[in-house]
Amino acid sequence: MSDEHRPDPDEERREFREERESLWRITLAPATWVAHFVASYGVVAVTCAKAPDLLGAARLGLGLFTLVALAIILWLGWRAWRQWDVRNTGDYTNALGEAEDRHQFLGHAAVLLALISAIGVVYGTLPVVMLETCR
Amino acid sequence: MTANTTDTGRRGGADRGRTGLLLLTSVILAGCEGQQSALAPSGEDARVLGNLFWVMLGGAVILWLLVNGLFFYVTRINRAALSRRFANGLIVGGGVIFPTIVLGGLLTYGLSIMPDQRAPGDGLTLRVTGEQWWWRVEYWPEGAETPIVAANEIRLPAGERSEIRLDSARVIHSFWIPSLGGKMDMFPGRETRMSLKPEVAGRWRGQCAEFCGASHALMAFEVVAMPPDDFNAWLQAQAAPATSPTTDAARRGARIFAREGCGACHAVRGTGARGAVGPDLTHVGSRLSLGAGTLTTTLADFERWIAHTGAIKPEVEMPGYGHLGAAELADLAQYLKGLE
Ligand code: HEC
Ligand SMILES: [Cu+2]
Repeated sequence: MSDEHRPDPDEERREFREERESLWRITLAPATWVAHFVASYGVVAVTCAKAPDLLGAARLGLGLFTLVALAIILWLGWRAWRQWDVRNTGDYTNALGEAEDRHQFLGHAAVLLALISAIGVVYGTLPVVMLETCR
Repeated sequence: MTANTTDTGRRGGADRGRTGLLLLTSVILAGCEGQQSALAPSGEDARVLGNLFWVMLGGAVILWLLVNGLFFYVTRINRAALSRRFANGLIVGGGVIFPTIVLGGLLTYGLSIMPDQRAPGDGLTLRVTGEQWWWRVEYWPEGAETPIVAANEIRLPAGERSEIRLDSARVIHSFWIPSLGGKMDMFPGRETRMSLKPEVAGRWRGQCAEFCGASHALMAFEVVAMPPDDFNAWLQAQAAPATSPTTDAARRGARIFAREGCGACHAVRGTGARGAVGPDLTHVGSRLSLGAGTLTTTLADFERWIAHTGAIKPEVEMPGYGHLGAAELADLAQYLKGLE
């Protein structure tokens, strides 16, 4: 980083935009979890109240949605893992307040959020899988 | 504190401490058995819940020992700094992977017992309505078109699964017989259901488990499981109208009952009393308790109930009849006790 180079007037703005995007991105995995959770509750509740015969189809649909949600979270997690870049830097905590640190820290946070979202989705699916009736 | 302490004061303290501990343990353990304990299950559902409790308790104890053991280790036994690798492994392994697996296992186990907790009944249906502060009970044997009405007592055939439909008149109550199964709330205008299968004949106690007003704590009931044949005979007797009073005292009591207008609130089937505000009294003499598990059904308790209703049960929706003379109270008690 000691390279002397003329700052491109746009570089700072571009970097800022990128950080802003990754700030948004760290919310996407939990948002997927929320969508999956609300869908599981809502679909089962409405199906059991209005058309209990369709519960089988509803459970199948939710099962597929679970796979999609997990795929999305996995993809987000993998992108965040690369952004964190801990394998190359060996820097777990990114304690310095530099742009580079902030960038990697957002990746770090997003990895952890993706992990807990994936666990949440799996736990949220267990009742759909195990409770076979509307009882 | 060692055994060879010569200081008698200290030894006395230790003895007292030990006695206290013993007393406490026996009090706590005594709470685990008896007529109203989820830890002394006599029903299929309560047994499953009891196992759930012990599994959870065992898990909690093991986790507690692990966490505190580790804490003890790093603060007392090995205070040197841990290697980075080890610390990371501990955080990821002990903080992420291990709890995820353990909670996943417990969740799966908990979910696996849920469906059977709400299994359908196999014949008899009871409808129980929560009132303030008593229980309206209807028995609907299979195929029945009209119910057999009773109150403040639940009888079930042992070894069979009875369907129980729950409702409430005005506020939320909760129906709970800890020895037989889990609890279920009762909502005004919304029917909930549960089913119970007592494994043996026996007698237990149920209790309202949702605060419902001044006498919530006095809203209990006796529970009796009988061999199916005995149960059917009992139910048939409950379906019959009231027997006519046989003694002079009871006949006088019946006249007082009519004169005081008790029949505006109470039904005694086969007589002019048709009220539905309070419990059906057709067979109140054969019940095991009065005032929803509050008093016994001795003559003396009948008199106490009628004369001091509000003192026995705060805000009860039955006026007290303290103005009746002792002789009249005694006659009334004879009449009611005779309604078997
Ligand atoms: C205003 C209505 C009302 C009147 C009048 C009334 N009762 Fe009651 N009675 C109730 C209610 C309500 C209960 C249930 C109280 C509770 O346990 O919370 C009750 C309970 C009882 C019980 C206990 C029943 C059981 O299953 O535990 C007896 C016995 C009884 N009443 C007798 C009488 C007699 C005798 C009279 C007349 C002297 C009378 N009642 C007049 C409303 C009334
Ligand atoms: Cu209550």
